[in-house]
Amino acid sequence: MVKKIVLPGFIILIGFFGLFLALSQVDFVSLFHVKEIRSSSENKIGDLIWDEISSTGDVISNDSITGTLDKLIAPICDRNNIKKDSLKIHIVVNDDINAFALPDNHLVVFTGLIKECKNQEALQGVLGHEIAHIANNHVMKKLSKEIGLSVLLSATTGGKGSAIVKEILKSLSSSAYDRTLEKEADMASVDYLLKADINPEPFADFMFELAQQKNLSDNLYWISSHPESEERAKYILVYLKDKKYKKIPTISIEKWENYKKLVAEKTKQ
Amino acid sequence: MTQETTFAYQPSEHENEKASNSYLMSLVAVIAGLPLPIINLLATFFFYLANRKSTFFVRWHCTQALLSQAILLFANSYSFWWTVSIIFTDEKVSNYYFAYLFTVIVFNILEIISTIYCAIQTRKGKHVKVFFFGNVTNLICKS
Repeated sequence: MVKKIVLPGFIILIGFFGLFLALSQVDFVSLFHVKEIRSSSENKIGDLIWDEISSTGDVISNDSITGTLDKLIAPICDRNNIKKDSLKIHIVVNDDINAFALPDNHLVVFTGLIKECKNQEALQGVLGHEIAHIANNHVMKKLSKEIGLSVLLSATTGGKGSAIVKEILKSLSSSAYDRTLEKEADMASVDYLLKADINPEPFADFMFELAQQKNLSDNLYWISSHPESEERAKYILVYLKDKKYKKIPTISIEKWENYKKLVAEKTKQ
Repeated sequence: MTQETTFAYQPSEHENEKASNSYLMSLVAVIAGLPLPIINLLATFFFYLANRKSTFFVRWHCTQALLSQAILLFANSYSFWWTVSIIFTDEKVSNYYFAYLFTVIVFNILEIISTIYCAIQTRKGKHVKVFFFGNVTNLICKS
């Protein structure tokens, strides 16, 4: 019995898994250029959309404004093993309360969002949420699902590129990801903040406050594109309930207030 | 991989044909079963059911054909659902995926070759035992 069945069966199993393990040493992903195809088209799409935004909007290049935003993002990236240099952060003069991620790690922040945030932690929470979308590849997933990979690729090869780019921009800036991805990004953002010793409560408060006043203004895009904000604020607070965490501000409150004033002045110009 | 032995009795021409058909059945089902490996097994299983009251020689080879299909069903199903999850979910293509896919392809090719060989030999009236599956068949298929 052992010699006739168990041993031959064992030999087949060893043969199967042995071959599998041996083959898994081969880097098929590079061999078949799987990632290259994906990332090169993502780079092109990201650049095309950013060109569209920068050609129509007023992009802030003022060092003190971009520098402070960099400072606010730095602890989130440093403590969560996210390469800050890989993020392409842009501040655009626009009163809409909005921030969104684009393909190829572009992160666009509207001045309206910075002005609306009562404290730095709320802004860091929103930025963490968008960084989570980038880090977890939600951007391309959403576009592939809503617009279709073939259409996305056609945007990079000319033809009706401009119309498609506008469609992609509309999809990313004014509509939500699906509920699972939004929750994933929310919780990832909270975890980022916790690891960076930043208080995540203001992030939940910010969502709750915006949800309360959503009927008052048309330009609350971040909240209108992120439905069920009250519910989301609640599950963040529930998640935080039994957690002990430090609440260290990244910049002083005075510097934060000055920063908001500087952004407001820049918007008026 | 296969071993030719003598059977308990000399099978008739009719039995040779039926036994050989059991292998052919699983081979033909490979084509239909490419997208859904379960079809493969089902085809062989129904052929086995139809012949389970047949003579010992036919039953023996139907059982061997069924067993060799059954073991591949698990390997093929796993690769099928892995591919589906890559297309429709967040699962990513990895080196492990390709390695598994090629391993399954190699084992399928081996299975197809042994099936063709068995079909030819049994048609000639020769009793062929496939490595491992022949011994398992001996255990469960009694005269």
